[in-house]
Amino acid sequence: MFQAARPPNYMARINRLKARVLETRPEMDLENARILTEAFQETEGEPLVVRKAKAFRRQCREKTVTIWEDELIVGCSGSKIRGGILCADACWSVLDDELETISHRRYDPFHLPPEDRELFENVIRPYWKGRSNYEEWLAQIPEGTRELRDHGVIYVDRKAVRGFGETTPGYAWLLREGVSGIARFVEARRAQLDTARPGEYERDCYLRSLLIVAEGMVELSERYAIEADRLAAVEEDHRRREELREIGRTCRHVPASPARTFREALQSLYFYQTCIFMEQNAASYNPGRMDQYLWPYYASDLASGRITPDDAQELLDCLWVKLSEPCLFQDAVTAEFAAGYPMFQNVCVGGVDEAGRDAVNDLSYMMLQATMDVQLYQPSLSVRYSLAKNPNRFLRKVVELMSLGTGFPAFHNDDIGIRMLMNKGIPLREALDWNPCGCVETNLEGRLRHYTALADINLGSIVELALLDGRNGKSGEYISARTGAAREFATFEAFLEAVKGQIRYVTRAAVKGSHVIDEVCMRRPCPALSLTFRECVERGIDYAWGGAKYNTGNGIILIGVADLVNSVVAVRHLVYDTGKLTMEQLLDALEDDFTGHEAVRKLCLEAPKYGNDDPWVDDLASELFTFMANEIESYSSKFGRMTPGILPVSGNTPFGLEVGALPSGRKAWKPLADGVSPSGGTDVNGPGAVLKSVSSLPHDRFVQGTLLNMKVEPTMLSTQNGISQMMGLLKSMCSLGVYHVQFNVIDQEKLIRAQANPEEYGGLLVRVAGYTAYFVELGKDVQDDIIGRTVHHGISVG
Amino acid sequence: MPAGEALTGSVLRIERSSIHDGPGLRTVVFLKGCPLGCAWCSTPESQAPVPERGYVPELCTACGTCVDICPARALTPSRCGSAIIRDVVRCELCFCCVAACPRDAVRRFGTFMTVEEVVREISKDEVFFFHSGGGVTLSGGEPLAQPDFVAHLLRECRERGIHTAMETSFHVPFDSVERVLPLLDLLYVDIKHMDGESHRRWVGSDNSLILDNIGKADRWEGPVEIVIRIPLVPGVNDSDWNLQAVADSCRRMGKLKEVELLPYHRLGSHSYAALGRDYALKSLLPPSRERIIERTRYLARLDPGAPVKVGGGFS
Repeated sequence: MFQAARPPNYMARINRLKARVLETRPEMDLENARILTEAFQETEGEPLVVRKAKAFRRQCREKTVTIWEDELIVGCSGSKIRGGILCADACWSVLDDELETISHRRYDPFHLPPEDRELFENVIRPYWKGRSNYEEWLAQIPEGTRELRDHGVIYVDRKAVRGFGETTPGYAWLLREGVSGIARFVEARRAQLDTARPGEYERDCYLRSLLIVAEGMVELSERYAIEADRLAAVEEDHRRREELREIGRTCRHVPASPARTFREALQSLYFYQTCIFMEQNAASYNPGRMDQYLWPYYASDLASGRITPDDAQELLDCLWVKLSEPCLFQDAVTAEFAAGYPMFQNVCVGGVDEAGRDAVNDLSYMMLQATMDVQLYQPSLSVRYSLAKNPNRFLRKVVELMSLGTGFPAFHNDDIGIRMLMNKGIPLREALDWNPCGCVETNLEGRLRHYTALADINLGSIVELALLDGRNGKSGEYISARTGAAREFATFEAFLEAVKGQIRYVTRAAVKGSHVIDEVCMRRPCPALSLTFRECVERGIDYAWGGAKYNTGNGIILIGVADLVNSVVAVRHLVYDTGKLTMEQLLDALEDDFTGHEAVRKLCLEAPKYGNDDPWVDDLASELFTFMANEIESYSSKFGRMTPGILPVSGNTPFGLEVGALPSGRKAWKPLADGVSPSGGTDVNGPGAVLKSVSSLPHDRFVQGTLLNMKVEPTMLSTQNGISQMMGLLKSMCSLGVYHVQFNVIDQEKLIRAQANPEEYGGLLVRVAGYTAYFVELGKDVQDDIIGRTVHHGISVG
Repeated sequence: MPAGEALTGSVLRIERSSIHDGPGLRTVVFLKGCPLGCAWCSTPESQAPVPERGYVPELCTACGTCVDICPARALTPSRCGSAIIRDVVRCELCFCCVAACPRDAVRRFGTFMTVEEVVREISKDEVFFFHSGGGVTLSGGEPLAQPDFVAHLLRECRERGIHTAMETSFHVPFDSVERVLPLLDLLYVDIKHMDGESHRRWVGSDNSLILDNIGKADRWEGPVEIVIRIPLVPGVNDSDWNLQAVADSCRRMGKLKEVELLPYHRLGSHSYAALGRDYALKSLLPPSRERIIERTRYLARLDPGAPVKVGGGFS
């Protein structure tokens, strides 16, 4: 019953910018790869990191520089608005394998124009054949690891097909010092070296490479300034001419010099963002706590009258659109695991400051507003919510954004995030400054190096391997540890031991793969990224080589939590506790994918399920996941202790394709459950019960984050009362120690599809006004009533 | 063990995290058994006081699994072979067929639970009650049809500091009301129709006991708050006259917190089919959004002595 307010004036520009992104088809962009190749041909014999730096500088000097219409914040990593950048030195062969399919593949297609294909075949391939990190990896995968990888038990190629990412560069330092300031710091450090001492030549080469990339960045921004001036000279519209002149002035000043204004800070930040993406195509270069480090610039502009809140909002919105332009290029399999060109540039608002005080400021609200205004897929907006310190007004704004149904913001429990950082070995003083990274991982600006998601483990496969004595159901081959014939397990404990045995073996194989990746990546330095990691400069050691202040190992990600828990629970309940089934009967039914065993499937489906606040189930979940956290943490990489996390991105779907029927009642080849969420349609006690079950996992030990997708009834997000209750639910979630939640509000389209194709939507539960039912079982008239109720607001279904 | 903990009640289901049955996030305990039979009832499976068996013929393939398993031999395939017929006299309501049916075509409505069991379920949500200002709401059916059980249950909730509410028809002896008033923070009472004859026609009995109980509860010396609810059923009780009469009656109350309109919906109509019962209002359409807003404003203009709201998730 609200009157919609008139949209602010700046929205006209934002909508035009936004339309351009939405209308542009993602294309392969090989310009960088060509320049890199040419540079490498000219620098044979020089140290690798210097060659990388020179190639980067050459890209800065030669790449296409475009300022598009309406832009206030400028910059682009490549030559196209929505380009997929190929890092030839890392993984040229990925494109080689997909030349025929890349334009039309199912997940994340990139159009490849014929002239680019020609360039690839004539210039890029001939030079890089046999020299990329990906080829090194393929040649070195440990044997046992390869078998599990080939059968979809683990996924471990991710880091071989794209750059580091999963990091939060030191933006605050960059804004404060400017590239030139940092370069002076490098010079000073270099002056202390004595290349007659062992090891110092290597450092000298490294610091020289930092100076080369700094030079490149300054030259590139100068090229943007020149382009802006050129456009201004021919621009007829007076207002746009002024804007272009302002762009010119800004690009002449930053990132070379310290930012003086809010606008310069945003431009400097985005400029650097494009540079590190240009250096290495990778997901999750996170701007991090923008509301904190941009605050001084905004506050001083506001105080001096240089800017109005609306001007600032427009600039933020412009930046938000820019962050939606780039598209992550990855191979077809990796794209299945993280579909949607996922750049995962995670921006964070809220939380506490270095003294533990409420850190919410006006910019926190304005960044939430920017996501409401722009409603594109980037930046990934995250909230650090401190139950004790952040105000209700902030929480309400967060819920209002949730109600738009874009899936943003990702809501993080601040206390758990802080504890996760501490569990990684970061002292509390700095852990207070943590930021969400990528999907739901944890990070620390300018100080922390690790792969948050080096390998994924398929927990559905774990169940299958435990039931089949290490045999893969799909292929029939023995690929894992022989943990005993399930028919001979006399007790539930014996079965549980087999499950744990599989977890041990598979974790070990993932760790072996991690060591190989670490070695391969020693030959993948990234001086442009390292430039804003203060300790990399001080130590003269690249980010890739462990130069950052904290190196905290690699993350191993678990996928299929609910499938594992529900399957183990079903075996315990049906075979050992009630004796309703023999192991023989269960195995036969699973082998036949329940065909002809409908009664067995019914028993499996009716066994207690995770997500219903049933202590009998949830205790087992606690035990299993504490075991897994212990197991993963028992290993180290050359860069620190291994770390666990639970975040599927979209990996639960391809993993599901490798797993036969499970005791949970899940049919063969179907997707696994995502994150720590219950399996779809099995949680029947509402959101409170889901949170209680989810809280049985030791979240703070899964330091790479835990992801929860949740459904709520529609009125929870569309009425004032509902919004208040949602706030209560989120606060409760924090009290319970759950780390993250994200709400997906699905529009009526899904219900209409379910009405038309009921066989595909058997598990679709609807909760409308205190009423829960399987949608497809309702009569058409009632279905129509429910669809009708979703017209104004999304309805949440799952 | 204090007396009453082993007491059992007939419970239809317990629903958690509800936002429509009182302040905050609430756990709603639906009790089974109701002295009334409203034509528009959206939970017909709550009317009978004991557990019931539901059957969804659309899902049934007449595979015969339940026929073979039924210990009372109460089930037989229908003559045409497309459904299963239950002999209600023979059926002992053991619900073996519910567990056996591979298609989930047979359902069980309701179970007996002890006070302790229900309290254990309610207590699971204490953290949500704390952060949202929520609590427990006893609903039905008619909770006061089981006054002993309900009184013990409410006392246990009070001991745990849980906010208590009840949704009742008030079609019960005042003795039962008096027992629970001191244990309640909030009371929802329906006025389904102000005209006794219409009330009898649509609900099955006269409204005098209900109106009398409202008056007595309102004059009771304790601190309970009362919300009067009107199920807004098109053509039945949405006339100007009825709303005026409700408003007049409300205006005389001292404990009135709110008047709430609950727009009629037919989301429970499939439950009638499952129970093998006819739904009397099959052709009645829910009121339009415009009509709901118009009736709400009309009632508010009559000034019933407290704010008028629309419930049931209307936005």
